[in-house]
Amino acid sequence: MNRRDFLITSSAVAGLSLMPRLSLAAAGAVDAYCGSDKNVLDFWNNTVLPGFAKAYPDIAVKLTDAGNNNGLRAIADRGLAALASKADPQADLFETFDPLLPKGGIEAGLWVKASEVKGHERVNPLAIDSDYSLPYRGSQVLLAYDTTKLAAKDAPKTWEQLVAWIKAHPGQFVYNRPDKGGSGGNFVRRAIHEVNGRDPGAFTVNNYSEAAAAKMLPPAWDVLKDLAPSLYEKGAYTAGNTQSIQLLAQGVVTMVPVWSDQVLQAIHQGVLPETTGLVQLSDLALCGGFAHATIFANGAHKDGAMALASFLLTQEIQEAVISELGGFPGVSWDHLSDAIRQKYADVIPASIPVFPSGDWEKAVNDGWYRNVAPTISRS
Amino acid sequence: MAMLSSTLPARARAPAYGGAIIGLALVAMPVLLLGWLILYPILAAIVETMFPVGADGARGFSLASYRFFFSDDYSLANLRVTLWTTCVCGLLLVLVGLPIALYLRFSRGRFASYVQALAIFPMFVPSIILSYALIRTIGPNGTVDLVLNALGLPKLPTPYLTPWGPVIGLVWDNLPLTVLMLTAGLGQISNASVEAARDVGAGPLRVLVSIILPRMGNSLLVTLSFAVLGIFSAFTLPYVLGPASPEMMGPFMERTFSDNNDPLNALTQAVISFGFCLVFGLFYVRSIARNRESRR
Repeated sequence: MNRRDFLITSSAVAGLSLMPRLSLAAAGAVDAYCGSDKNVLDFWNNTVLPGFAKAYPDIAVKLTDAGNNNGLRAIADRGLAALASKADPQADLFETFDPLLPKGGIEAGLWVKASEVKGHERVNPLAIDSDYSLPYRGSQVLLAYDTTKLAAKDAPKTWEQLVAWIKAHPGQFVYNRPDKGGSGGNFVRRAIHEVNGRDPGAFTVNNYSEAAAAKMLPPAWDVLKDLAPSLYEKGAYTAGNTQSIQLLAQGVVTMVPVWSDQVLQAIHQGVLPETTGLVQLSDLALCGGFAHATIFANGAHKDGAMALASFLLTQEIQEAVISELGGFPGVSWDHLSDAIRQKYADVIPASIPVFPSGDWEKAVNDGWYRNVAPTISRS
Repeated sequence: MAMLSSTLPARARAPAYGGAIIGLALVAMPVLLLGWLILYPILAAIVETMFPVGADGARGFSLASYRFFFSDDYSLANLRVTLWTTCVCGLLLVLVGLPIALYLRFSRGRFASYVQALAIFPMFVPSIILSYALIRTIGPNGTVDLVLNALGLPKLPTPYLTPWGPVIGLVWDNLPLTVLMLTAGLGQISNASVEAARDVGAGPLRVLVSIILPRMGNSLLVTLSFAVLGIFSAFTLPYVLGPASPEMMGPFMERTFSDNNDPLNALTQAVISFGFCLVFGLFYVRSIARNRESRR
């Protein structure tokens, strides 16, 4: 093969790999789509689907990786269009999605009410944020730190101590951009909670208004801008959860906010050393987030999707969420076995503050980019 | 055209009749694809942004989104850093790529093919893998720092999360294309003219300045336009390696579209980016056309 042929062949192969992967919905199978990280996809393939096949041998499920939330959104748009034309959306269930999207979906009746799912009464009330989504797994943001540089007894336990520690150790703390992975995002939200009386209830999906945002958010920007010069590289922000963990692993910084499931997995896989410490703020915990499954009302296999959704809430899967995924269950802890409850007593959060998605999220992310991120002085 | 060629004596290889139709059919596919996947979205984006759906649901002519972009310091800073990155990368690519291309043009043997293989290698590394690898090597406490430390030298300030991070990544990523195109351009310079210059006593520098560079203008322009088009719209490298703010247009558009759920402004940013790329596209098309003409 000469060089010319080689270049032609390799560019053709490269081009082919760029073509959108065709996913044809299988006839007769429940079409489930997952836009989450690889670990969640593995969890579904290795735990949820084999378990479901055993419990419901006559319902087939086809799980497709939608890549990310944008991939799901495109499918949801298609579902909404199919609803209008009474066609088959070729989608039945999303692993996690925000039912507020696409705009007008709820009003048009695109999503099934979560309370119609069998077993919904066992869902942890802390986790519910919409009538149309089913929280089935969660995780919370913690602070991970290097115990060789910071002894566990000196680790900050309150927001004030944390701020004092960051200022006393310039360059040793980094958080990621709030829209790119929630660990940094929930650190930002904790700052917002701090300046609003530490009351997570002050923010709900429906109470957003531009006036409220203009009043409640700027004080948090001041807090974060005040912190910026003490952060890594005098105000640099990593582009995702993984990069924050990478900086901690490379010994560049001493402390980063992390997702509980991700950090447990990183320690388990040896990405982070055993000397990694974890701490949660005790005055008000950093926010957590739940993955909310949504079910299409117009899906061709709605009954199968409802069965799958209720299977997610069974004790079997909810305990696997803890033991396999390192996450929190979506149901209340008293619906789990005593053994597992005792084993994970340390991880059970007393409260999981949440922050609404939708307009607030948009305002927080864009506000942060416009107000906090640009004030970098690298001198 | 088919009529005309049928009255002329046919060339040895080209079938006189039917060839034109087959030719047109072959060209039709890419042209249709171009129209469907590129021209139509561009026109749709321009119409969408200049005639947005107003609050009353009716479309009307308005340049408000453009006015917002050009009066918004944040957006302008993003545009500026994109232009800066593109210029710096273009310059560095030529500075790095030209010596490699010259070397490959004028040397023979095994070592030269190793160099070529090495220069082409980045083409086969996906940029997301490159980004994480660069964090490991030139990032803080990365390989470079470890080597410097072992030699007893101080650490270098890391380019990670500064505007220089994407620059290094993009230059690395775009080097193969640059080297290939420059080598192709150098291939058009005949050995005879170089040797003639040497015979009359021109040194290497003289040959470069007086013989090679004047004939490279076209291929330099083509190379630069290609590199610039790629860099202007880069996403992964600026997103992972660059600072949170100012951000390059790629990540900015993505964020405006999906995070802010604001297709109108994302489209506006896209049309503005497209306008800048158009300038370089025109350079490219013009130089191709000129090239064709000069060959006639």
